[in-house]
Amino acid sequence: MQSLTDELKGKIIQALNLDKITPTDIKDDEPLFGAGLGLDSLDALDLVSMLERDYGILIQDMDAARQAFASYRTLEDFVQRNRV
Amino acid sequence: MSSRRPVVTGLGILTAAGCGVSAMWDALRTGRSGLGPLTLFASPRYGRHQVGQVRVDVDQLARDVRGSRSDKLAWIAAREAILQSGLPAPATGALAERTGVLLGSTVAGMLGTEEVVGALLRENPQSAIRNPQLLGAEEAPGRLLRGQSPRLTPLRYHECASATDLCARRLGALGPTATFSTACSAGALAIATAAGLIENDELDVALAGGADSLSRLTLNGFGSLLLLDPDGCRPFDAARAGISLGEGAAMLVLEAEETAHARGARILARLSGWGASCDASHPTAPDPQGGGATAAMQQALERGGLPPSDIGFVLAHGTGTPDNDVMEARALRRVFDGAVPPFASVKRFFGHTLAASGAIQAVAAVQVLREQAAPANLGFENSDPKIGLRPEREFQSRQLQQVLSNSFGFGGNNVALVFARADALPGRSPGAPLYGKDGNYGRYVAAGVPWRSPRVPLAVMGAGLVSAGGDTMAGVRGALAAGGVTPSWLESAAPFALGRLRGYSCGDFGADEAIPAARRRRLGRLQQMALVAAKRSLPQGLPGSLSPERVCAAIGTGLGCLGETAAFVENMALNEERAPLAGRFANSVHNACASQLAIEFNLRGLNSTSAHREISFEVALWHCANELRQGRADLALAGAADELSPYTQAAGEHWGWWDEHAPAIRPFGRDLTGRRRPLPGEGAAVFALARGDQASAPPARFQSVHFGRFAARADGLPEAQKEAAWIRESLERDGVPLASVDLLLAGANGWPRWDDACREVASALSFLRGEEVSLGAYKQVCGEHYSASAFGFFVALGLVGGQIEPALCLAGNPSAAAARSPRTVLLYTLAPGGSHALCCVCA
Repeated sequence: MQSLTDELKGKIIQALNLDKITPTDIKDDEPLFGAGLGLDSLDALDLVSMLERDYGILIQDMDAARQAFASYRTLEDFVQRNRV
Repeated sequence: MSSRRPVVTGLGILTAAGCGVSAMWDALRTGRSGLGPLTLFASPRYGRHQVGQVRVDVDQLARDVRGSRSDKLAWIAAREAILQSGLPAPATGALAERTGVLLGSTVAGMLGTEEVVGALLRENPQSAIRNPQLLGAEEAPGRLLRGQSPRLTPLRYHECASATDLCARRLGALGPTATFSTACSAGALAIATAAGLIENDELDVALAGGADSLSRLTLNGFGSLLLLDPDGCRPFDAARAGISLGEGAAMLVLEAEETAHARGARILARLSGWGASCDASHPTAPDPQGGGATAAMQQALERGGLPPSDIGFVLAHGTGTPDNDVMEARALRRVFDGAVPPFASVKRFFGHTLAASGAIQAVAAVQVLREQAAPANLGFENSDPKIGLRPEREFQSRQLQQVLSNSFGFGGNNVALVFARADALPGRSPGAPLYGKDGNYGRYVAAGVPWRSPRVPLAVMGAGLVSAGGDTMAGVRGALAAGGVTPSWLESAAPFALGRLRGYSCGDFGADEAIPAARRRRLGRLQQMALVAAKRSLPQGLPGSLSPERVCAAIGTGLGCLGETAAFVENMALNEERAPLAGRFANSVHNACASQLAIEFNLRGLNSTSAHREISFEVALWHCANELRQGRADLALAGAADELSPYTQAAGEHWGWWDEHAPAIRPFGRDLTGRRRPLPGEGAAVFALARGDQASAPPARFQSVHFGRFAARADGLPEAQKEAAWIRESLERDGVPLASVDLLLAGANGWPRWDDACREVASALSFLRGEEVSLGAYKQVCGEHYSASAFGFFVALGLVGGQIEPALCLAGNPSAAAARSPRTVLLYTLAPGGSHALCCVCA
């Protein structure tokens, strides 16, 4: 689990070009969007792309992903359950 | 009766619903959608989507046209429009000089470019541009491009200006000719701009419209934004799930009413109003409140002197995305104060044809007025409470005087057009002046008097620069004094294994300090360059007293954000369309720079992006000058930006545009071999402009900006005497005597043929006024690129401001007399594609 956390946080930072952010800055229970990291809808789509590329998870409808993107922890759970 | 009112005398159209106006109308009348399977190219991810593909044999219909699919679509539509208008093609003599071509283009030759990139990467995946998001692409030198000429040919037709120049050549147009790339509103903006040029008496006749082909980039791009409905779009329906992509072209022949009468041409309809605005809210999504859309529609009504109740039908933008349709309905309710006229989106007939869509709707609007019947909103079944409006479900006969057509693009670039019946009277003239404090433009329109652009000088209030020669006037002066900048070896050319090429790179241009990291991470390099230049042009920021609606921006870019576009296309080719990069797509549109400036400074006036090779900057400058002179803006940001890319380096070297042996650009340098060529460069410059009669103590003024096409000799170079005459006439129109010109600052770049052309024009000009004109150059500092003339404008400001001595610009030009301290500098730009532009900067 720890290894997935490090990996996934690293991939978020890379996919969203979050230069000045380190994995420890991504708090498990803070919202990813709006407050927290301050991500927006285009970031969400870039995360969708990253999930597809690195975990083989295909998201075709943002409504389905909304729950998963609520916080880092929900995203990690989502990846854990759906990765291929 | 205003004789300069723009009227429509020709229509041409080619869409998925068929070729020609009658096929289009037949589809609208019978409710037949043109959507169908994608067969133009294979798409692993979106191959089963319904698209609006043109089914006729485009290659055969376009006959002898060499160019991209977009070019061919454009010419087929243009040919029909020209034929109907009865214009001679090619035009000759005075008519040619008063005829222009204004087109919108977004995809342009991308379909062919994708094929080139795909083929190259399949052969050698390691050759992709350094891009951490690419699957398995290591940085390693490849061996591409050299000696593969036939396969590179599509890159020649990559640019937005390609279709415009093609149509202009065939029409024989020598008047103002330009290409706009404001994403999905580009075709409508081109039509609005043509109308402005006609009204200003700068043009009599314009071919105006838009063309875009389908491409993998747009299909995957909209797919990455989750905005595609695989089963076909359903505009305004409760179950709508996105757009259907389409392709096509549509053209109007617009002309001044007096010209149409003089030619005996039949008037099909009038363009009675047009308006443009910017959301200044998001790169791809519309402003949910619809403020920008409302402003564009209101401006179009105001300009036509029309109360909202005069509009009998609205051709909505109605793309079928959840956000657009809610936003548009909200804006319609605001504009029409609840009493929204019947409306329909035609997107399910043709698909969303991007830059062509505004022009397609314009042709449809004219037909609606001529036939006095309006189409149904195909794809609509159930009302959406969030929309609260029902579009029309049946094709119906209607009594219509005025039809409104909406186009909204990425970056919140909105344009609204109003067409009127041929026999419609001018608008019912509102009592108060429409625009600006003096309201002169509004009074002219209201009184139906011909509007002539006033000779108001424009003040340059600030200038910001990103260039290889530094970012300050002192830095540029130093670089000129040193005889130019020594170009650096270009690292990024390595993947193409081209041998080593030097170029004029801006290097680290200070983006880290100027743009907060949280914002910078989402921006491509070119957007950062433009943003940094804009911030430097407004060191104090925007004055708080300005209303955002009264500040406009126009940015020229020949090639747009190449780095972002390349990253998206390469990723698509290497990964077989898996994991498309949404953020890169959002940045890949040419108007990504101008719309970022709008978001940064909250600029809600006209937001224009011109993409017409070397004169992109001058076209942007014209747009800003026009908004200021007509009193619709109090401040304008005009500029241009282009970046170095391995693709332009590689293609340019392949075709011998660049000189791998040259140590630097030496304009007017001695070259006995005749084989010297320039070197590539990059840069951005942005200028804050205001009306000269309203600004106190501006640092500099500019009096005049003109663009068009030159009369070419058989060898493709301009006829110098005609150029000199054009320069004199253009200046005289703005009240600048030729005798007052102290220096001609030209785009000489060390290519002997081109330098000679500049020299010949200077001598012809000297002959014309009986006194030698000094000839200067600037590309030894900024390198050759499509936005170089914006750097030239910066130099011109330094020359008239006394910060740069004229002798520093004379380069190696042996014929130049040492100029007196210049008070009037002419920035003169020639483009190998046939364009020229002129801009007069005064102390």
